[in-house]
Amino acid sequence: MKRLLENIKIAFQSLFLNKLRSFLTMLGIIIGVGAVVAMLSIGTGAQQTVLGSIQDMGSNLIIILPGNPEEENHMGAQLAFGIQQSELTIDDLRAIEREATLITEVAPVIISSSVASYSNKSIQSTVVASTEKGLEIYNMKIEKGKFYSRSDVSNVLNVAVIGQTVIKNLFGKTDPIGKIIKLDGKNFKVMGTLEARGSDAFGNDQDSSISIPVTTAQNKLYGLDSYNMILAQSISEKDIDAASEEIKSILRKYRNIRFGEKEDFMVQNQTQILDVMTTIIGIFTVVIAGIASISLLVGGIGIMNIMLVSVTERTREIGIRKAMGAKNRDILVQFLVESIVLSVTGGIFGILFAVSVSAILSRFTVLETSITLLPITIALSFSTVIGLFFGIYPAMRAARLNPIDALRYE
Amino acid sequence: MIKNNKDTIIKTADITKVYRLGNIKVNALRGVNLEIRRGEFVAVMGPSGSGKSTLMNIIGCLDTPTSGQYSLDNVDISKLNDNQLAGIRNKEVGFVFQTFNLLSRSNVYGNVELPMIYSTERIKNKKKKILDAIESVGLTGWIKHRSSELSGGEKQRVAIARALVNQPSIILADEPTGNLDSVTGEGIMAIFQKLNSQGKTIIIVTHELDIARHTHKIIYLRDGIIHGQEEVKNQVSAEEKLKQMPKLEDKLTAN
Repeated sequence: MKRLLENIKIAFQSLFLNKLRSFLTMLGIIIGVGAVVAMLSIGTGAQQTVLGSIQDMGSNLIIILPGNPEEENHMGAQLAFGIQQSELTIDDLRAIEREATLITEVAPVIISSSVASYSNKSIQSTVVASTEKGLEIYNMKIEKGKFYSRSDVSNVLNVAVIGQTVIKNLFGKTDPIGKIIKLDGKNFKVMGTLEARGSDAFGNDQDSSISIPVTTAQNKLYGLDSYNMILAQSISEKDIDAASEEIKSILRKYRNIRFGEKEDFMVQNQTQILDVMTTIIGIFTVVIAGIASISLLVGGIGIMNIMLVSVTERTREIGIRKAMGAKNRDILVQFLVESIVLSVTGGIFGILFAVSVSAILSRFTVLETSITLLPITIALSFSTVIGLFFGIYPAMRAARLNPIDALRYE
Repeated sequence: MIKNNKDTIIKTADITKVYRLGNIKVNALRGVNLEIRRGEFVAVMGPSGSGKSTLMNIIGCLDTPTSGQYSLDNVDISKLNDNQLAGIRNKEVGFVFQTFNLLSRSNVYGNVELPMIYSTERIKNKKKKILDAIESVGLTGWIKHRSSELSGGEKQRVAIARALVNQPSIILADEPTGNLDSVTGEGIMAIFQKLNSQGKTIIIVTHELDIARHTHKIIYLRDGIIHGQEEVKNQVSAEEKLKQMPKLEDKLTAN
């Protein structure tokens, strides 16, 4: 133990005597470890952002979409052969409302894009049309005014609830409540505003949305009979799969799909979406970190190179130490400790580097980062292993030197 | 008491050393029989190529003989492995080299401490022993100086202190004055004579008769065998000679 401390001391001394060289050698490891940790932190951050924003949409959310998930090119087929695309209509909605026992709320949704304007300003906005239940299912919060009511929906009123980006662009500092905006040329009265929500899992600005009654959207704006999707909320998170199955069987029965036939609709829930997103981001992170770890390898080779030079340069020192009674193992440990000190110090600086890069990224860009203990532990043990692996050969060369030849070395 | 003090410390029996240089065999030593007793002060002399260095390497346990036996302090060295040799060197041998061989980046204290770092036994009063060794060569006050800042004579004194610090059985000096001017060299010989008078066994390899005449016994080596031995009568006293020698500075200013 004492001998090891002595060796660590000797290692630090000799690294300190060659400050510039030690720093440049370490730089490879600093960049390698820094890149790996930074990439992992960006990956972890992205994962958390995506998970968070999917959960923001309501944790018990079930999404029902038209079309079959297994016929990927059904859109093309429909266009080519004039096959009627399956649609979700008010009848499907009623059927679910009537028969489902495991859901609390159900709401139809039409999502479209329209130009919204007020006085001389206009903005491209996302129209999210739903019923009064859409507010809760979508997990939206009213900032000022109120959301449209059940009777507003059944009376097909031209009312709108607008998001923060819309307010900023159309109204600036004026109070929008009670004002009349135009959506695709039609007048709508602003009855409420939505709290800011930021971007969703796919990077879309959720604050540029305008919510209007689904009936108004169907009859006055887009001339549709169907919905883009139907959203439902299960009574609890653990019932979400059962609720999805229940909806499936209701719709199969209602839409006369016989046993063994494929469904012409999809039922997805949060857990499934989460699983898919987590897998995608996980693969992405591993790939990027893998690329970054190549620089760690290069850094390791740099250490080996410098250690070989150092052994040659210090041949005489090795001879002196051996003449004074240093055993092969002492010399081996001395040089091994030196390369480990190099790589571990580099690793520590690399982590500091990654931490500051992550902090800067999450402060000044849209990227969210998250540094966890795991990549730091991995990076540190990895750089120790690199020091060991790339240090062992030079150290063995040093240890095997014959003292007589080493003392004679000029 | 005296008899015990004159114990045989080095005994070689017919040792040979054969090197291979490519296909050529070089017989560096061809059967050397040598006996050195505790407390002796011996010079090994011979022209270059006589096998002096090879003999020194074997006596210093840096190398083992091709054949024959060598025992140091009653331990048979001939058949030891590298690590065992390292242990013997650490405990039993103090080296002084022509080119000093100090660690240039360490200070005086660090250099003298070096053999202790590799000692396998627990050393008590480590610091005091180091300071004592430094004091015995008159370098107290230079402890914090890096060895690269020292003059040749000072470097060689550090080397002697380093050779002393583990209290080895023998001190082995290879041309210790070879890189020094005559006054400084005489100063180094004075230290060796003082250490010998305190009972240290010292072996010096040299090709200068002047230096060899400071010792008790001269062993002549030629072509890998001992050619003759001679007791030194009228041993030169380095102290006396230093007093007679005009100071180098005086000479320079006189001219």
